[in-house]
Amino acid sequence: MSRAKLHELGIELPPLPTTSVGSFPKPPYLVKARADFAQGKIKREELKKAEKRATEFWVRRQEELGLDVLVDGEMYRGDMVAYFAERLSGFEQGGLVRSYGNRYYHKPIIVGEVKWTGPITVEWWHFAQGLTSKPVKGIVTGPYTMMDWSFNEFYPTRRDACLALAAEVHKEVEALVRAGCKIIQIDEPAVSARPEELQLAIEAMAATTRDLKAYFVAHICYGDFESIYPAMLDLSVDNFDLEMSNSGLDMLRLFSKTHFTKDISYGVFDVHTHIIEDPPVVEQRLNRGLEVLSAESVWVDPDCGLKTRTVEEAQMKLERVVSAARVLRGD
Amino acid sequence: MDLLTANHSGYPRIGSTPGEQTLRRAIAQRERGEITDADTRAAEDHLALLALQDQEKAGLDIVTDGLIRWNDPISHLAANLEGIRIDGLLRYFDTNFYFRRPVVSGKLARSQPLVLDEFRWAAQRSARPVKVVLTGPCTLAWLSLQEAEGANLASLIFSYAEVLSAEVAELAAAGARTIQIDEPCLLKHPSDPRLAREALTLIAAGKGNAELGLATYFGDAAPVYSELQELPLDTLVFDFTYSRNLQQVIVADGSAKPLGFGLLDGRNTKLEDKAAVARGLERMLARVKAEHCYLTTSCGLEYLPRDRAQLKLKHLTSVKNTLLGES
Repeated sequence: MSRAKLHELGIELPPLPTTSVGSFPKPPYLVKARADFAQGKIKREELKKAEKRATEFWVRRQEELGLDVLVDGEMYRGDMVAYFAERLSGFEQGGLVRSYGNRYYHKPIIVGEVKWTGPITVEWWHFAQGLTSKPVKGIVTGPYTMMDWSFNEFYPTRRDACLALAAEVHKEVEALVRAGCKIIQIDEPAVSARPEELQLAIEAMAATTRDLKAYFVAHICYGDFESIYPAMLDLSVDNFDLEMSNSGLDMLRLFSKTHFTKDISYGVFDVHTHIIEDPPVVEQRLNRGLEVLSAESVWVDPDCGLKTRTVEEAQMKLERVVSAARVLRGD
Repeated sequence: MDLLTANHSGYPRIGSTPGEQTLRRAIAQRERGEITDADTRAAEDHLALLALQDQEKAGLDIVTDGLIRWNDPISHLAANLEGIRIDGLLRYFDTNFYFRRPVVSGKLARSQPLVLDEFRWAAQRSARPVKVVLTGPCTLAWLSLQEAEGANLASLIFSYAEVLSAEVAELAAAGARTIQIDEPCLLKHPSDPRLAREALTLIAAGKGNAELGLATYFGDAAPVYSELQELPLDTLVFDFTYSRNLQQVIVADGSAKPLGFGLLDGRNTKLEDKAAVARGLERMLARVKAEHCYLTTSCGLEYLPRDRAQLKLKHLTSVKNTLLGES
């Protein structure tokens, strides 16, 4: 079904298409430029120049490595929620909170009515797509995660905040579609956090993708999938991008009980380790997936964004994605 | 009855100023091999001291060391036990905080204290009584993965309870007067109540003169309030943010044990209406037959930015003063 949809959109992909989840590590010169900008040492134009240079580097590297569906690498983003919160009205930047280990992020605070005031990611998508003939995914953070990962001092309930955000994120997705983006990923890592709110997340996703012609991917990770599967298949997307390997392929057990009815971007390695998995390990993980999933539905990628790895590690891990897919395709 | 303001458990280990970011820098430098373990510990000490100072400045009656040295509530304890290795990241309940999952590969054994040194360190530096926090055996077991085929949850709960019992006994002997066992799992994964009772009985056996409390959070305690009352703990600490009717249940059923009222939301920056909080608290306090109770936040404060966590601590004192008619 989804292949037909891709065909309708004019996109033809090989079997086991390879992609990545979205973020890549920022090269040292960009890390420095961001720090310099934060300290007022350089102007925004200089920072943007470094962001463009890094984006071009990653687009070229993805092409060279042979990935099929590219991303812009999010060189211009810091945190996935804060980036959008800083560009929607109604948010205030909050202080740092810890996400895990020694990792911290600025958690936004909703202090007023949330409003989309203009395209946020479209210019970057245009830039990346202009560098390649391969499709580049548009990637936005979804409304449920925006709500769940922000403090809320304005809306009376979580539901009110979530649906208000869905209406505004929809405008960003619509802007991407108008710009020509045909594969759009909605990042919703928080969806699995509160199973009792899955229906709200489904309602919000429907509002986000409503009446828009694109192939939609939902990225969900690090949660209690047992309690939301198979109900999560009702999210109005074509493809689920899932972290299969971090949880030891546990999810395959669920899929063998209840058939996975959509396309899947199948994570073949844990992104939170410096270890570069050997090719046979990656191939074996993918093979195990293919015993349960229809081959036509499977895309291959890392478990999650690669921004916490080094530039070298990220490239090596991406190389493993491509080589595993090629081996299993019989290339 | 005395109403004591208490820090629940954790406190942010990072803030916006360079001094408040010492630990983040130190850990990153340690990972790159640029500094020593002793340097990292010094950075931990610095942030723990700041946490103690914030609590004292806010006027709290009971403080913690902010759990500043904890990587997360699970692996900080499990990593120091024999028979366990630490694995990948998993979401910690419904928060956007992630813990490293312990994988149980052999018999659990405690060859060294888990938080005893942390307690001693804080007690020597705090003018206020220091509460010790330990993650409970049910939560540790639920969030661990057992490698052995046929391994069951009950035996792992008891294995964790055994090592925690030894820790509690040493803490009590070292002078800890308030020890809190955190069991968010009891509200999220209700299981056989006998298991929890027996495991917590085992832990309570070593408590000596310490007051042993049970903190549940991230869920609605109202449906299991009477079961929790039967557990062999001296105090019960509740999260009121998930429940519409926990206050009514407490007003209806009362309590013969001291309670910890987690009435301020430890996961949202919004400051509650102190008069409304004080009114609800007054109704519940009237139904508690104990010499003291605690006013606290719904959970630890590490889910808030440091400046907002400071405000929540001050708000605890403010609510108490409102209740006492002092402001």
